[in-house]
Amino acid sequence: MRRGGTRSAISSLVVALCVLLGSAATHPDASEVPAEGGDGGMTVLRGAAEADGRVAYTAVRGLRGPQGTLAVRVVSRPGEGLAMAPLGAEEQPFVVRSSSALETLDESLLAMLEHTYRVVEAEPEELDGRSAKVVEARRADDTVAGRFWVDEATDLLLGRDVYDPAGDPSFSSRLTELRLGDRGWPEDTLGDEPWGDALDHTEREELRSEGWTLPEHLTWNLRLVDARSTHHEEHRVVHTVYSDGLSQISVFAQRGKLGEEHLSADQNGYVGTGTGGGGVTTGHETIFGGDVGQYQSMWQANGFVYTLLADAPADLASSAVTALPGPEGSSGFWSRVQRGLSRLGLV
Amino acid sequence: MDHLGERLSALIDGELGAAEHERALIHLAKCEPCRFEADMMRRLKRRLTGLGEPEPDLDFMGRLMARPGMDSPFGAGAPLGSSRPLGGFPEEPTRKAPERREPRTSPERYVPVRRPEDGGSVRSPYFSGGRYAVAGLAVATALLGSAFVAGGENPDNAPVVEPRLSDYAVEHAVTSRQIPVVDPATDPVVAWPAGIPRTSERASDPNETTR
Repeated sequence: MRRGGTRSAISSLVVALCVLLGSAATHPDASEVPAEGGDGGMTVLRGAAEADGRVAYTAVRGLRGPQGTLAVRVVSRPGEGLAMAPLGAEEQPFVVRSSSALETLDESLLAMLEHTYRVVEAEPEELDGRSAKVVEARRADDTVAGRFWVDEATDLLLGRDVYDPAGDPSFSSRLTELRLGDRGWPEDTLGDEPWGDALDHTEREELRSEGWTLPEHLTWNLRLVDARSTHHEEHRVVHTVYSDGLSQISVFAQRGKLGEEHLSADQNGYVGTGTGGGGVTTGHETIFGGDVGQYQSMWQANGFVYTLLADAPADLASSAVTALPGPEGSSGFWSRVQRGLSRLGLV
Repeated sequence: MDHLGERLSALIDGELGAAEHERALIHLAKCEPCRFEADMMRRLKRRLTGLGEPEPDLDFMGRLMARPGMDSPFGAGAPLGSSRPLGGFPEEPTRKAPERREPRTSPERYVPVRRPEDGGSVRSPYFSGGRYAVAGLAVATALLGSAFVAGGENPDNAPVVEPRLSDYAVEHAVTSRQIPVVDPATDPVVAWPAGIPRTSERASDPNETTR
């Protein structure tokens, strides 16, 4: 009897393990990259990207973040760029000039979206009175990370939502009052383009050999999609863009240290910005710009000053900051040894 | 009694015939001056022979002769320095002790290499585990010391920089095709890029955050 009972217990345990393993196999972790499955929705999104460079339009872009909303008048003129001005403001609009660099970046972002998530087309919906195709970016556990609305008539991107792992919207963008034509284009505005010095793989490797920290991969879903540099007062500044296809994070790095006449170090020796970019915090992982969600952080580490700007969910931006070299704070023996090993390139 | 004279050097060099050699030895047994001179000549010869053949480095010779199947130390083997790590191979039971190829005259150093057939360890006392421990400790100490020094505070010659947050905000806005914004609680409008006039001043200007 006892032997039979033991055998029965072992059989039950084996069955339980099989069920557990089967359950794990059928319910992958949300952070599994890439999410398995087809990407049928990518055709719709690539069509939207193509339409953005082909269709002239005027609209109001409404932005909603974790801390507020903002309405921006946008005018798109193919071949010229995108003009943006806050609704009701009298200043000159901010113009992003069309450029091959941005087209390349768009392709990289779409490729990153396709790589990270399962991109599927969902049931069409109406948005602001217009019929729209709906595309969802799904994580490996099939939760929705992002949703896109693409106009049936023009193929323009009408809306975009980014959701946090809990399913709550982190960022939302809606194009309303859409009219075709670029009436209202600011003819006198020169506009801005990305910094011109694009850094290819070889140049990034050279910079790394000179001590620059330019990771190709920050976290499970944040990968380098663009790198370029410029010079400020003869000091090189490198701008790296990381993305999962839904959110963008900019990291600016330059050699040097922060002046401490206005930025006093705290007890741990941390030198950097605080909430809203002012003051000093005791850590570097939670610095909100206090806007509709832009993340701002600045700190010094290993002879470099890092500045991070992100339009991304807080947890994503925070994980990006944490993945970069930490601030010089701890003066303990092992912390200093670890920092030294890092500077010597041994870890 | 006649002394050996030039026959003495022939005796030392082994050039005498058997009968002459016997007679010379009998003479040496009875003649103190010749015995003294023969002894001096032998010493001198040893000294000269020793100068003519420099003593090779024992570790170098060990590495050369330890190559299995290598007849010539200058054969097509691995380059010097690659045949054995510093301290030798701890486990190499088939290695044979180096064989002497030429008659080596004294003085020479005895290398106490024990052979497997002797039943003892083949590890040379020159490469004992204690040496490994000491070497490892020295390397670790040097590494930690270097890392500790390198991990000090920023060098004073690092330039003090003021990151242009406004420029960064424009660059980020361009690549993300957004307008950077500020806290709507303090200002309901956008954080306008540098160089563009604004109608109102914000309560907290992000440009000041770099200082």
